[in-house]
Amino acid sequence: MRKITSIVSAVALAAAIFVGAMPVGPVPPLGGFLNPTSGIWSVAGTAELPDEQTVTLTGFSADVEVKYDDRGVPHIFATTEADAARALGWVHARDRLFQMELIQRAVAGTLTQLVGARALPLDQNARRMMMGASADAKWNALPDTSSTRTVVTAYMEGLNAYVASMRPQDLPLEYRLLNAKPRVFEPKDTYYLLMRMSQTLSYQEAELRFAALEQLIGREAASALLPTEAPIQEPIEPVPGRTAAREIPTTIPAPAAPDARQVAEAKRIRDAVVQIVQQTAMPMNARDPLNTDLTDLLTRGEAVVGSNNWAVSPSRSASGFAMLAGDPHLELTLPSIWYEAHLVVPGVMDVYGVSLPLSPIIPIGFNRDVAWTMTNTGNDVVDYYKEQVDDSLSPRKYRVDGEWRDVTVREEVFTDAKGKVIARDTMFTTHRGPLMQTSLGWLSQRWTARETSDEGGIFRLGMRATSSSDFYARTSAYQTPAQNMLTADRSGNIGIRSTGRYPMRPEGRGDRVQDGTLSALDWNGNQPLMWYPQAYNPTQGYLASANQQPIDPQARNQYHGSDWPSPWRAMRINNILRANPKMTVDDMRRAHTDPKSELTPYIMAALNESKAAAEAAGTWTSDDAAAYDVLTQWNGEFTPTSNGAPLFMALGTEIAAGAWDELVLPGENRRVATPQQLILVTLMRENENPWWDVRSTTDVVENRDAVVLEALRRAWTSTRGRLGNEPSAWKWSDLRTITVNHLLKLPGFGRESLAVTSGPGTLSPAESGGTHGASWRFVVELAPQIRAWGTYPGGQSGNPVSSRYADRIALWQAGELAELRVPLAATDLTPELTSARVVFTSNGGAR
Amino acid sequence: MGRLVWFLTLVLAVSLGTFAFGWAAPAVLGAAWAAVRRDDVFVPLLASLAGAAGWGALLGVQAMMGPVARVAEVVGAAMQVGAGPLLVLTLAFPALLAGSAAGLVRGVADK
Repeated sequence: MRKITSIVSAVALAAAIFVGAMPVGPVPPLGGFLNPTSGIWSVAGTAELPDEQTVTLTGFSADVEVKYDDRGVPHIFATTEADAARALGWVHARDRLFQMELIQRAVAGTLTQLVGARALPLDQNARRMMMGASADAKWNALPDTSSTRTVVTAYMEGLNAYVASMRPQDLPLEYRLLNAKPRVFEPKDTYYLLMRMSQTLSYQEAELRFAALEQLIGREAASALLPTEAPIQEPIEPVPGRTAAREIPTTIPAPAAPDARQVAEAKRIRDAVVQIVQQTAMPMNARDPLNTDLTDLLTRGEAVVGSNNWAVSPSRSASGFAMLAGDPHLELTLPSIWYEAHLVVPGVMDVYGVSLPLSPIIPIGFNRDVAWTMTNTGNDVVDYYKEQVDDSLSPRKYRVDGEWRDVTVREEVFTDAKGKVIARDTMFTTHRGPLMQTSLGWLSQRWTARETSDEGGIFRLGMRATSSSDFYARTSAYQTPAQNMLTADRSGNIGIRSTGRYPMRPEGRGDRVQDGTLSALDWNGNQPLMWYPQAYNPTQGYLASANQQPIDPQARNQYHGSDWPSPWRAMRINNILRANPKMTVDDMRRAHTDPKSELTPYIMAALNESKAAAEAAGTWTSDDAAAYDVLTQWNGEFTPTSNGAPLFMALGTEIAAGAWDELVLPGENRRVATPQQLILVTLMRENENPWWDVRSTTDVVENRDAVVLEALRRAWTSTRGRLGNEPSAWKWSDLRTITVNHLLKLPGFGRESLAVTSGPGTLSPAESGGTHGASWRFVVELAPQIRAWGTYPGGQSGNPVSSRYADRIALWQAGELAELRVPLAATDLTPELTSARVVFTSNGGAR
Repeated sequence: MGRLVWFLTLVLAVSLGTFAFGWAAPAVLGAAWAAVRRDDVFVPLLASLAGAAGWGALLGVQAMMGPVARVAEVVGAAMQVGAGPLLVLTLAFPALLAGSAAGLVRGVADK
């Protein structure tokens, strides 16, 4: 018996020691993991910032004081910009270390070293896209004497100093779950982050979708579905005297009936699009490295993200001061992409806003004189070239102007956390960029983000602007991602400029796949600054942007892109601003979550005409009337309690399905591409357009009225099926919620199914179960003493057990904003408003 | 010393030993205790209990410093085991280390 006991004890002990010391599958070694003094439990002790802390670090030229206010925002008071950056690096690391690691690795293509082979496709794409190499080139192009180099280096010194000083209990939870340790960061990593922002915001492939559509429905119809001129114009650059959006009478040409060869070709091109997405797609933004299911992005149609910004001049504000508001929409994650911070360097800068962890810059915010914010331009900055290569399997040469040129070939090696090679991949590049094999042949890709530029330095300059005009002067060399930069200043000026590098093409446009054998088709310069969409102190007294086509071609006809997002948000903002000659701060705030959509009247108008036709024909049923009543009694608001919104949404979806059935390849159930809602609305003006004929019903020719009526019936049936037979009990929030996932989508780390005010075309759009939305909302009043309000859906801390991990979500969900503290000096933050304090002192070293 | 005093001493030793030397301390201390108290037939059981109690005491200290329950909730969810099982695992692991080490030493010493 004793012997058996001994054996059992020995086996049990060996097993305990084994699982204590070694990882088993995804489970980290349990010994260190469960240890209450240094393992996961110790994270509890670091959930909140200590009240007082003194940190001695090399490199500071003088003491730096950091006071965290009652919202957890650090206010950094330093005597040099480099000191402020060094402190910010340390502060970012303390709150967001794992996030920064993930961003850097996602761009460098080294996620496999952190999470294993499951991230291999994403790493391969990042390297194929030359993300890290491009960031390296941007960093290396900075002169040694560059002040940006000095500031970014100081930032990384602060970041690495924090990592080096971490106690075991300071290691973020995610590292523990992955059984990993933080890497040493490098100054160039800031440019990795900026490269990633370019990928998130300026990457598109409209020319490939056009190519597939062209085969399926003919060139004329395809051009109308992906137009370079949006048929409803509410441009960023205002047109003097205009008091409403301009609707351009447009006829959508009938879809050509494709023959078998064209269908096959369309399928081949569609497959090429899928292949390109699979070879290049990375997560929608920098914080979602494990989502590899990206091909769906191709065909789901209207983007359900959309940033907005708007400003009013003193003449249109109740207070008599200029005001600015903005809400950049991105994927929502915990922790947030943003981190609020305030940097004060007397005589140099005093800037408040949202910073991007892994960088010392504040791309959206304000200083004592001027406020600025951004929306994405959606301009065409990516082109594809069909290359002729010497070897269809492993090209070594490609032909240009009758001559063979060498393909640059490189072998990329992917390793796991222990350095073991898990894959090798050969990658090819032409002078234009990455060369990718598709069912269309070899395509190379050129993209402005891959070319040398210094956004880090330009953002630094912008942060110190003294007026709106000064901001534009300082940011004129900005290249990527192209942004609608909106400003307002304390002197009452407002301005906007869509700033970025817009390539000039010999053919004038870039929405077609180009012939790679002709160098004459390469980009031949950049649009001059004066061509950029822009406006300064317009007579209308307000400005707004929402990713829409920036210039009405009637005013100035320059190519900026195609397939523009529907202008519903732009129209809504402009209508709100037009209707209110004396905007208040609260009006500005409320607009962020305005519940109405300018799309609704178009759909309802078509429904009314369809109803009249059905009544005239005697086909209008009692069920039709019941459904119609729900919609007409609805107030048009997409609030969580709305009962009409679910039926309206279903109706819109069914109308689109009826209209665009010609875009579905035979035998498939997905469209090759889905036009923007704006095109559908344009089509709805034409009752007898052949697009309305449903191809599956060969014995009858449908018109718009018939399709809309059938859509109503289907919507009524499906909505009752989903939400029950009693419409008064329907709630929009039963269908429409937002989920804020953790960066790794870890269960329990995110916040799921948040009811929000959001609908198609509202200022805060989302999709069902959506993960994108307003990543930051703020309003600034440019009074003599600047006042500002803001929030984002998350919290300052990246520690999931911290009270500041997700503490702002409720405020954000309610559409409210918190007043931002903007102290002039550290002493202005009273003890009641101070939640923590850190003082950095130097221990010598480089100064 | 009575058994209770020995037990409490071991609990304290496990806590301090884990703090100072890391997660393997319960095994070492369980073995050492068994060598000293080889005549006590309950040594393995008491060592197990002391291991769990020692780490439980450390968890108690952590709870005074921060939201341990929240850690259990979040990490338990991430590992898809739940908060309760994670807590049980945290106490069972040192119990297994200390108890099995004590049982092994006692068995070997009796030969």
